[in-house]
Amino acid sequence: MKEKTIYEHLRDKGLSRRDFMKLCGTIAGMMGLEFSPPVKALGKLAHPTPAEVVARALTTKPKLPIIWLEFQDCAGCSEAISRSSSPSLAKLVLNDIAIEYHETLMAAGSQAEKAKEECMEKYRGKYVLVVEGSPTVADDGIYCVVAGKSNLDLLKEATAGAAAVIATGNCASFGGIPGANPNPTRACGVADLIKDKPVINIPGCPAIPEVTTGTILYFLIMGELPKTDHLLRPLTFYGHTIHDHCLRRPFYEAGKFAESFDDEGARKGYCLYKLGCKGPTTYNACAALKWEQGLSYPVQSGHPCLGCSEPHFWDGGGFYQGQSAALIPPESKTTAVAAGVGVAIGAALAGVNAAKKGRAKKALTSISAVGPGESGAKPISQSESKKEG
Amino acid sequence: MKTQSALNTYIKETGGWVASQLEACTRCGICADACHFYQALGNPEYAPVWKLEPLRRAYEQRFTVAGKLKLALGLEKKLTDSDLEHWSKIVYEACTVCDKCAFVCPMGIELGLLIHEVRTGLAASGVVPGDLAEATEKQKTLGSPLGVTDEMWRERIDWITDEWEEKIPVDKPGAETLVVFTSIELMKFPDNLAAIAKILNKASENWTTSSTGREVVNFGFFEADEELTKLFMYRVFKAAEDLGVKRIVISECGHAYEAFRWTAPNIMKVPKGIEIIHITELIHQLWKNGRIKIKEGAFDDGVITFHDSCKIQRLGGLIKQPREVLKVLAPKNFKEMTPNKEQAMCCGGGGGVISIKEAEANRYAVFEMKMEQMQDIKAEAVCMVCSNCRLQFVDSLAHFNSTIKVHSLAELVSKALV
Amino acid sequence: MDWSEILRFSRGPLFHLSLIIFIAGMTYRLLRIVLLGWERDRTKRQGSKLWGTILNYLRGLIILPFIPWVRRTFRNNALTFIAGGFFHLSLFVVLAFGAAHILVWQSLCGISWKPLPTPIVDWLAAVGIISLLVLLINRLTHPVLKLLTKLPIWINWTVVFLPFITGYIMTHHLWFRYEVIFSLHMISVCLLLIWIPLGRISHFLFYFFSKTIHGAQAGKRAVTP
Ligand code: HEM
Ligand code: SF4
Ligand code: SF4
Ligand code: SF4
Ligand code: SF4
Repeated sequence: MKEKTIYEHLRDKGLSRRDFMKLCGTIAGMMGLEFSPPVKALGKLAHPTPAEVVARALTTKPKLPIIWLEFQDCAGCSEAISRSSSPSLAKLVLNDIAIEYHETLMAAGSQAEKAKEECMEKYRGKYVLVVEGSPTVADDGIYCVVAGKSNLDLLKEATAGAAAVIATGNCASFGGIPGANPNPTRACGVADLIKDKPVINIPGCPAIPEVTTGTILYFLIMGELPKTDHLLRPLTFYGHTIHDHCLRRPFYEAGKFAESFDDEGARKGYCLYKLGCKGPTTYNACAALKWEQGLSYPVQSGHPCLGCSEPHFWDGGGFYQGQSAALIPPESKTTAVAAGVGVAIGAALAGVNAAKKGRAKKALTSISAVGPGESGAKPISQSESKKEG
Repeated sequence: MKTQSALNTYIKETGGWVASQLEACTRCGICADACHFYQALGNPEYAPVWKLEPLRRAYEQRFTVAGKLKLALGLEKKLTDSDLEHWSKIVYEACTVCDKCAFVCPMGIELGLLIHEVRTGLAASGVVPGDLAEATEKQKTLGSPLGVTDEMWRERIDWITDEWEEKIPVDKPGAETLVVFTSIELMKFPDNLAAIAKILNKASENWTTSSTGREVVNFGFFEADEELTKLFMYRVFKAAEDLGVKRIVISECGHAYEAFRWTAPNIMKVPKGIEIIHITELIHQLWKNGRIKIKEGAFDDGVITFHDSCKIQRLGGLIKQPREVLKVLAPKNFKEMTPNKEQAMCCGGGGGVISIKEAEANRYAVFEMKMEQMQDIKAEAVCMVCSNCRLQFVDSLAHFNSTIKVHSLAELVSKALV
Repeated sequence: MDWSEILRFSRGPLFHLSLIIFIAGMTYRLLRIVLLGWERDRTKRQGSKLWGTILNYLRGLIILPFIPWVRRTFRNNALTFIAGGFFHLSLFVVLAFGAAHILVWQSLCGISWKPLPTPIVDWLAAVGIISLLVLLINRLTHPVLKLLTKLPIWINWTVVFLPFITGYIMTHHLWFRYEVIFSLHMISVCLLLIWIPLGRISHFLFYFFSKTIHGAQAGKRAVTP
């Protein structure tokens, strides 16, 4: 039997056509479609509005199967989505638009494993694999094992039938916190391991829920992953730095900085650069999208950006250390050793040079007479040669 | 071989003092504009810093890793005999060792004193302009670079005594002050010698000259041959010791003052308890102490200016003394040239340059600038305290057919004595 | 390799290494020179060496071409002198009072102080860049400088210019992504640090030698340095 389309599914749940169209508008916004002109990929009408594009997709396409795996993580990204300020929307995506297998949200256990395998079988080649948490490569993946299977095997198994892979959160994207120095488990990003399937990264700590769901929707509606930057992050959301859109930016330009978290500058909303803000090098949508449905975001509420959407943000020399500071603080020991080496070479060469000077002096006195001051001797043998000049 | 002696000398002379200054140079080229030879002739090789090249290359190639590296990479060549010949022309014929460059270099590098070191190496390898070497030889053998022998000296002193009717004691036992003149004064400016005698006699100074320590000029110092420098000073010190004087007065010669006052204690044994003083300082003292009186405004008709001699003013520090005296002699008409005092421009004849025939063109070119400075203030006369400068002024002013009159301070003072 | 990695590398190990090379290199040079030996000055002074030295440093702060009685000496190259002066002022202010650089100092030696307002620093940075260009043109055209300038001097200019221009571009967010230009800034700074002990930029250290020597010479002779 033919699968129900999403629209049919929603209609069955009692959604009116009018509400459906409104929903399509909202979804278009979430995907960032408002910004990109209607896509040719859909090929038909000349200039459909974004909402129309969404509506057409939802009325023709069945629900999108999603398999959500967790490796070395804190479940923070899942948490963020489930606690998202727009729960209805997130729920809507996860319940009504997608069919989902989620290890943590469903009670884990052999039953869940079975459900996952069924799901993978049933939707082979169609499902989207979302990975949260970093895979670990060290010792054949032994540091993250679920139901007796290593994370590497689980990942391989799950990607085999996936249409696309979405790595959500910094851990899955770049190794995140498990990957921080010295990275004992050799945690890495999903894209480091998966080369044969399209992978997209939604880094963040956690990933901004709207960006994850927006990307899922994009894939559903457009049938492909959105355009990405060199770190495989969707450009719509990661095209600008926090600094680019920061509302403290005028203070930065004017050189007005908060020196501590409770000084006058902090109260006046001055730039947090000196408190360690990584905004200038951090590409993420926080400043544009804001968290909690546009309520605020870290820098706005007074905390410097940690750079959580960037690789190795945990190793940036401390969250409260300015971005220009040296990453490896000089220790008095290394400095002393360096100076010591200089002293040693300098002294050695000085010795050689002193010897040279001694030799030169000897060579010279052998051709010139004793100074008159000492002996009163007048003739000076050297003078003969002087006439040559 | 020549190069080897030069190199050995540079190596010997290069202590922290030399090395740190060579290292400090940023190659900014600002010193070029300090040098009157570069300013007048525009030859970039006359830039003071370029004059240090032999010393710098010897230092870098012998003492530093970077220098050895540059040699190995072919970025730089070893010093050769022809390099020495080349720099000999630059360093002796286009430098008066006036040290003006040191006062302009933003790093404060003592360029003049370092150029003296460069000359030391060249002298050690015998690459010295012929005229200079000849004069030095004369000083060594005859006792005076102008070839004045003992007899000639005595005759000349007697003649001056007669002509100016001024007593000039010779080898006077028990004298307190030994005055040592230059042969330039003796032969070319006898009026100056007489003037000094007149002042000293007027002040009832217990003074004398010496027949053995009779030459204050030091051609060894011009050449920068350390042994000869010492020898020539030794003759004077010995005479002073023998006579048991309390002080040696250096008459109007800048280089000699530099050698006696600032160099001797560092290169040789100097007799203890004998003060070295320049005639300018002495005249000033006598006047201040009231031992001589000068008629005010004695030379106050027509602008008169003062030429600062490098070794007496810039390097000797006797800047205010002659000016105080001049302001009495010409209260209304004394005017300064620009630049002046420590920053004054050399006359172009010092450092032995005037004794080198090949350097004549350089010398005149420089003097044109000095003339310009005098003309700017419409000077009719110029006063100075160095007979070497005076020789350059007299010679060059004649060369340019100028009417500016040249005086020495002693001469003016002697004429204004009351 | 991705630019954020390059940035981490250049802010981290590369900068660290450069600092070590810088410290070792400078100690070596300093010692080699100091140990060449110093002779005592036995002359009787006429004035105070100390006062001469103090005066000499003070005088170093004045731009000479503006002093009337020496102006004549500088009629040919006042511009160079002024460009040089501005360059050093700019370098000092940018490095000592730019907010970003204060954080560097803080991370290196634990002390920090108030930055100057960015617009001032920024202006001076521009002045520094222009001065460097003026000095470059001068070096290319002045006959004496043509004679004096060998390969190492061109390297000097380059390694000083690069941090300036990359820093300026970075502050103004021009053309490059921030982490790219930041990396370039850091790499050029590291080049500079490594080069200093090898070339004549080390004059900042020997300046104190030559300046003191000249001051003392002038002081003992009782002339104004
Ligand atoms: C420890 C090494 C250094 C670090 C970590 C560093 C870091 C920085 C940073 C982060 C900025 C830009 C700040 C912003 O975006 O507002 C900057 C600006 C700048 N830096 Fe550096 N820097 C270093 C050394 C240097 C050096 C040695 C020079 C010069 C030779 C230099 C010259 C500049 C200049 C000219 C600017 C532009 C200032 C402006 O236009 O306001 N930096 N530097
Ligand atoms: S607070 Fe951070 S992101 Fe905002 S302007 Fe300052 S440095 Fe940039
Ligand atoms: S402000 Fe920076 S650290 Fe904070 S969530 Fe956004 S990207 Fe991450
Ligand atoms: S000492 Fe005088 S003459 Fe010699 S280079 Fe310096 S400025 Fe020129
Ligand atoms: S002025 Fe001083 S620093 Fe500049 S080139 Fe001459 S000697 Fe070197």
